[in-house]
Amino acid sequence: MTDDKDVLRDVWFGRIPTCFTLYQDEITEREAEPYYLLLPRISYLTLVTDKVKKHFQKVMRQEEVSEIWFEYEGTPLKWHYPIGLLFDLHASNTALPWSITVHFKNFPEKDLLHCHSKDVIEAHFMACIKEADALKHKSQVINEMQKKDHKQLWMGLQNDKFEQFWAINRKLMEYPPEDSGFRYIPFRIYQATTERPFIQKLFRPVASGGQLHTLGDLLKDVCPSAISPEDGEQKTQVMIHGIEPMLETPIQWLSEHMSYPDNFLHISIVPRPTD
Amino acid sequence: ESLDDSQVAGVCATEEVVRYEYHVLYSSSYQVPVLYFRACFLDGRPLTLDEIWKSVHACYQARLLEGPWDTITQQEHPLLGQPFFVLHPCRTNEFMSSILTGSRKQTRHTNYIILWLSTVGPVVGLNLPLSYAKLGPEQNTNTD
Repeated sequence: MTDDKDVLRDVWFGRIPTCFTLYQDEITEREAEPYYLLLPRISYLTLVTDKVKKHFQKVMRQEEVSEIWFEYEGTPLKWHYPIGLLFDLHASNTALPWSITVHFKNFPEKDLLHCHSKDVIEAHFMACIKEADALKHKSQVINEMQKKDHKQLWMGLQNDKFEQFWAINRKLMEYPPEDSGFRYIPFRIYQATTERPFIQKLFRPVASGGQLHTLGDLLKDVCPSAISPEDGEQKTQVMIHGIEPMLETPIQWLSEHMSYPDNFLHISIVPRPTD
Repeated sequence: ESLDDSQVAGVCATEEVVRYEYHVLYSSSYQVPVLYFRACFLDGRPLTLDEIWKSVHACYQARLLEGPWDTITQQEHPLLGQPFFVLHPCRTNEFMSSILTGSRKQTRHTNYIILWLSTVGPVVGLNLPLSYAKLGPEQNTNTD
């Protein structure tokens, strides 16, 4: 059991060394130095980059600054996806640090949601938690909680407080003793090569005969191309929090231990590096 | 104090054509339909949440402000991956079940989607023509 709790901590404290560079066409009064930061995998870009914004605003004229947005190799980064998901999906097998370009102009209205305040991030985060509980418990656990419990989940994330967060989140990870797991598993599968942003379907963690479904069972059911070997070789990696869990892992265990704070399993299918 | 010509010109609202796009999606998580929409001016400039909000009829605004779960937020369209505005779906079951129970008592035929869309659509400018309600029983699907 100690091992399982360690997984929770390892997931929470995962970091990605990142180098932020100002977009060259932004108008500055002096040269902008790059800014280095360790980003928490489990958080959101707009929640943890106040220092980045301040750093670049120092060399810019006030009128040149509007809503900040981030881009990696030409792709606008969706702030509403957790940072670890963005990295795994777009840059998992590239050299560190992760190089992100910072913009203050020409907000890509067709690609990115606006994020005018921390309230927007909180609303999005809580909406994900509620949807996850709708799947796991028909919303019973989240609806029984008081407003202050909801607030504690958000404050735990915002202030990087593992114990504060899990004091409440553990209730969202419980299930009735007569069941073997949640009603449905909250998950999303992402693949950068498809037009569709993600796949999300209803999936039960336990089969009718009582056997626990595995990660492999989930993929076979909703995304078979991810694991069917072409020419006997596995061309893709199935990645969660930067690692490839064994396909035999019970999906119920993955949901309890490797979900993001929003209670979803965000799974990336990425090309396997050929070296 | 009478208005002079320049003030009158300022008071008249500039008329702009807005193009609304509505998508009806199904949420498997909440097991209800969800209305996604976006709007832009003819030059392609998208409306902001503020501008959308201003176009919501005054009688609905008070109701929307009451509960955070009935509000309009910007979300990623789950199939297109682009920003849309959405009416939050978690209250849908509540108001739909009270309507459905009522109509069942009268043994009236009910088309769930028309019932639902005629309730939420007008809030965001989508008004269903009455002809939708006049569909005969043989053209309706009963909800169960």
